[in-house]
Amino acid sequence: MAQIIVHPKIALIDEPLHIRVTSLLPNQMVVLQAKLTNEKGEDFYSQVFYKADESGEIDLEHAAALGGDYVGIHPMGLFWSLKPKKILTRLLKQDVINSPFLVQLSVHDSNIIFKESPGSLKASETVERWYSAPGVQRIQIREGRIRGVLFLPPGEGPFPGVIDLFGHIGGLTEFRASLLASRGFAALALAYFAYEDLPKTAEVVDIEYFEEAANFLLSHPKVLGPRIGIVSISQGAQIGLSMAVFLEQVAATVCINGFFFSVGCIKYKNENIHSLNIFPERARINDLGLLEIRSIFGSPREEANKHALLPVERAQGHILFIVGEKDYNLNSKCYAEQAMEQLRRHGKSNGTLLSYPGAGHLIEPPYSPLCLASQTPSILRPVLWGGETIPHAEAQEHSWKEILKFLRHHLSPASSSKL
Amino acid sequence: FALIVTPEKALADEPLCIRATGLNPFQMVTFKASLMDEKGKLFQSQAFYKADETGNVDLEQAAALGGDYVGIHPMGLFWSLKPVNSFRRLLKQDVMNSPFYIQLDLYDSFLLEDSPEVQPKASQMIERWFSVRGAFFLPPEGPFPGVIDLFGGVGGLVEFRASLLASHGFGVLALAYFAYEDLPSCLLEIDLEYFEEAANMLMHHPKSGIGVISVCKGAEIGLAMAVYLEQVTATICINGTNAFHDTQCKYRDMVINPIPHQKEYTQIHVSGAISFRHIKGDPRAEVNQQSVLRVEEAQGHILFIVGEKDECLNSKAYAEQAMEQMRRHGRSNGTLLSYPGAGHLIEPPYSPLCFASWNPFISRPLLWGGDIGCHAVAQEHSWREIQKFLRRHLTPSRSKL
Repeated sequence: MAQIIVHPKIALIDEPLHIRVTSLLPNQMVVLQAKLTNEKGEDFYSQVFYKADESGEIDLEHAAALGGDYVGIHPMGLFWSLKPKKILTRLLKQDVINSPFLVQLSVHDSNIIFKESPGSLKASETVERWYSAPGVQRIQIREGRIRGVLFLPPGEGPFPGVIDLFGHIGGLTEFRASLLASRGFAALALAYFAYEDLPKTAEVVDIEYFEEAANFLLSHPKVLGPRIGIVSISQGAQIGLSMAVFLEQVAATVCINGFFFSVGCIKYKNENIHSLNIFPERARINDLGLLEIRSIFGSPREEANKHALLPVERAQGHILFIVGEKDYNLNSKCYAEQAMEQLRRHGKSNGTLLSYPGAGHLIEPPYSPLCLASQTPSILRPVLWGGETIPHAEAQEHSWKEILKFLRHHLSPASSSKL
Repeated sequence: FALIVTPEKALADEPLCIRATGLNPFQMVTFKASLMDEKGKLFQSQAFYKADETGNVDLEQAAALGGDYVGIHPMGLFWSLKPVNSFRRLLKQDVMNSPFYIQLDLYDSFLLEDSPEVQPKASQMIERWFSVRGAFFLPPEGPFPGVIDLFGGVGGLVEFRASLLASHGFGVLALAYFAYEDLPSCLLEIDLEYFEEAANMLMHHPKSGIGVISVCKGAEIGLAMAVYLEQVTATICINGTNAFHDTQCKYRDMVINPIPHQKEYTQIHVSGAISFRHIKGDPRAEVNQQSVLRVEEAQGHILFIVGEKDECLNSKAYAEQAMEQMRRHGRSNGTLLSYPGAGHLIEPPYSPLCFASWNPFISRPLLWGGDIGCHAVAQEHSWREIQKFLRRHLTPSRSKL
């Protein structure tokens, strides 16, 4: 009887698994499948061809997939190659505390890639993938103007504080903050538009709101001061870097695929940064009918747009720029390189750039499936994020480790004396 | 202002002149094209242009700034049409009695998304026909050079290319070989005698010979016809193979075993569509030699047309191997046209690129591949070459037989 052995069966979403299949026939061709159903009842699948060795075993640490959703040796490939049955559905966990994603791993006859075939199942095992460690606390925050959710690690603390910012999607995305809390940070998932009584759009970014949030976090009894970190992506990264520029409370900022100029208005007290020139008619619809918007932004290097640039040389603390070179949503690499140059020109050496070939816009924690494109609020056509499956998966694994290292290094008590 | 499109009724492979006049100088406009296929499914395209100083936009000269294409592409609105439902292929069923109706709309602003509040400032309905009728010029009395038209793994009968070719003066037989009427429901074997029967039926003059135009699995059969049937004097193989794969071939008392497919090398594209590009065994391997077509024995001329971004098969490699085999035997009756960026479904000009589509035999869409702009160029160029090739090698007075 074929068997599928997986360890560990219960883990955080960013932890790798060891998957083995035993008791097959020697050299038997099978399909390994992963299946996940999200909270809306939408299915995600991955299917891969493997050949058992002479002893009828497949060990994903050593065996190379021959075809299907990926080829080659990829122990966690079944997870990061998951694809939605309904195309362009993004996998996004809503409840990050009370329930995991259940992923069913199974072994099948090799025809199921072409035709659904319930009789083909040989063995299966279900694993739990959690977005929070046991003991992580989730606290809804409504203090002053601040709206968000604070995640605290188990224990007394105090813990280094991090603000987690997402982009144009609006509302509140909690999964990365809960993971950061599972890795020892007091993480505030901070909303700034399209959430509760916040403004509907993010045209005007008022850094004083974010300063309020930073001060709130630093005043919490379980948060270690004297400064905080930021993890931010896309428009969140524009805000994250703005916070680093204007607020001395910021010691370490992670900017993932961001842009560092104003597209509406960025203000702090009596300083205003006005928008770059934008050309909506340069929006492109690609071969698959997906919307590519990166060309609509004027060039931040042009004289006419210089007023829109963030004065990154004034940024406090350290900055880690993370970019995917196949980001089709923004020219992230160009923007990060320009920011790094600006730092260098002013004699600053507090910036680091990690550039990942083949990675797209949505660089998430490890083993998250690549989302090539998806619906966004307020735009009818699905927006193209870009990325090539395997390099994107590698970028997610590598960058997550770098993010945790970076935050620990710059937020731990020993390092605060460097600033 | 006005939206002027000429001609309003034309064959589907004819280019159009599209102009907008009477706009404000340098005004931003949006051109949109919409088509509903015979099953009621919508295809759309759009592009954003800026009028010139005189308030005109002439698609022959103006460059699109964004949308479904950029740059100067007079027929871009047609070849960049995309289905609203993913993976639908645009395929005309009734080729005789009705055209595709395409509505062209002009909006006097940048408009990315349809909105009930915004109406086009001008519209024009145009007709794209797949056959000649009514007031069109009809070619002189026959006999016309005979051509057999073969499609591929989609099965059934696909008529649109045959009817378009007929509109250019050829007598074309769109030939089904499986999944049609009383033919087998799936392709179990290729019996060349069936195709020989069709060829003999078309021959009106023992010295004229017939042509074959074929794509994909049809091109595997087309190449076999070129090798084994002396009636075939001109063969066009679009994105086909140079050996028998997966299906056995027989002709009279000869049986040729195919190179088996290796389904484990199927790849699933990021869109969820399947690429079969790697499942065919290598025709150069020693063990596969008896399946390779003896192209050096083909009497007539062969035109290989390949798209270098074909995701269904490695067509370029197969065509190059066939050409090499002919050269090795001192034959010079083969020509290869290789199109960078073109995908598997190289069709007549202005057909929208079909990147992947549903297939009746498997549960996932099949990936065809292609870069949209390059694919459009390949379709335009290859269609002209196809007609030139057939005229050169099929006109009875120039027959070499």
